Amino acid sequence: MALGAPAALAGAPAAVPPAPAQWVTDGAGFLSEPVRAALDARLGQYEHDSGHQVLVWIGHTTGGAPIEDWAVRAFAAWKVGRRGLDDGVVLFIMADDRKLRIEVGYGLEAKLTDLQAATIIRDVVVPRIRAGDRDGATRAGVEAMLAALGGAGAAEGVPVADQEAPPRPQLGWGTILLLGLLGVGILIFVATHPAAAVFFLTTLASNRGRGGGWGGGGFSGGGGGGFSGGGGRSGGGGASGSW
Amino acid sequence: MKKLLPIGLLGLAVILVVSVVSGYNTLVRLDQGVRAQWGQVENVYQRRADLVPNLVETVKGAAAFEKETYTAVAEARSRVGQVSAAGLQNVVNDPAAFQRFQQAQDGLSSALSRLMVVSEKYPDLKATGAFRDLQAQLEGTENRIAVERMRFNEAAQEFNTRRQTFPTVLVVGFFGGRFAEKAYFAAQPGSEVAPKVKF
Repeated sequence: MALGAPAALAGAPAAVPPAPAQWVTDGAGFLSEPVRAALDARLGQYEHDSGHQVLVWIGHTTGGAPIEDWAVRAFAAWKVGRRGLDDGVVLFIMADDRKLRIEVGYGLEAKLTDLQAATIIRDVVVPRIRAGDRDGATRAGVEAMLAALGGAGAAEGVPVADQEAPPRPQLGWGTILLLGLLGVGILIFVATHPAAAVFFLTTLASNRGRGGGWGGGGFSGGGGGGFSGGGGRSGGGGASGSW
Repeated sequence: MKKLLPIGLLGLAVILVVSVVSGYNTLVRLDQGVRAQWGQVENVYQRRADLVPNLVETVKGAAAFEKETYTAVAEARSRVGQVSAAGLQNVVNDPAAFQRFQQAQDGLSSALSRLMVVSEKYPDLKATGAFRDLQAQLEGTENRIAVERMRFNEAAQEFNTRRQTFPTVLVVGFFGGRFAEKAYFAAQPGSEVAPKVKF
């Protein structure tokens, strides 16, 4: 497998779509509307009760990209699940490609293991799709996933230790002192050499790099309306299948 | 004018020191990011290595399965174990150790993919629940490996880029080998060609 810098992904066929606004998004007419709405309500309620974000996202195609790559990118862009807990799961269905994937966030890998995800796909979802019952397949798949994850109940409050978001940089005494000196020095310097000072300051500004990946999660979904990402991450766990 | 010169020099000196400090801090932060990501990579590789003994036992049970193939897998796994045991403390900073690690893991990847290809020939084996389960777990693990390697490359790229841009590049020299350039995971040589098995 060729692993290059992220710039290589710029040539990837299908760009990741914007984050969904609901729990169940059907862009390919795969489900009937009543079923879609019912599932949406179910997953919304589940999130409310347990805190875990479980999504269903149905599209046409990944445009040639392997569904595993595509799913990881989409999950990372949408930030499904809560920051620190990484408790998101997405069921991706590509109707034209006839492929599907369950992508599990880091925090839930112990509950919805690769093996369980593969079993759900192979034994629960695919046979029903092949039999023509798409609504039933999706519904059964979601119920099986929720059963594995643990039903509606108190949200888990124990963050997975090694998945915590990177800490904000701390300001030590030395840095504070240095910043104080810098302030004085800059004031004097700016007064005497304005052009040079501007040059140095823009260079220093570039050193305040971005912090890891802990910038804000997805867009806000408004009050009680729809889904919005919570900053969770996934690591490629889950399983894929096709019919 | 003469009075302003020492003040100007002081200002310059302060800015220089702050440059060095903030450059150093940034490098440390990015270096730690790379190490943390390296930990993830080790984790997922270990997960794969842990699947191998079960896999070997399962295929051994299948009648007349090619002994060479699963022996090769067992050997590749023990090589991986040796590289890990030899100490992975500074693999991230040491290109030679990084190479050794990657080679050992690639060896296991080849042996496993050969095993999977050969197992296509044994429908009885493929149908057993144990083998199917292991296959699902192996696929999951391989996917995780791909993802963590990609993220490691991203972290290494960020570090290497920062390390070489001005003015941080001036700072690096002060600290000797501490901020050595990080190696990247490369595609396995020959991975463009699918393994061929003569039936």
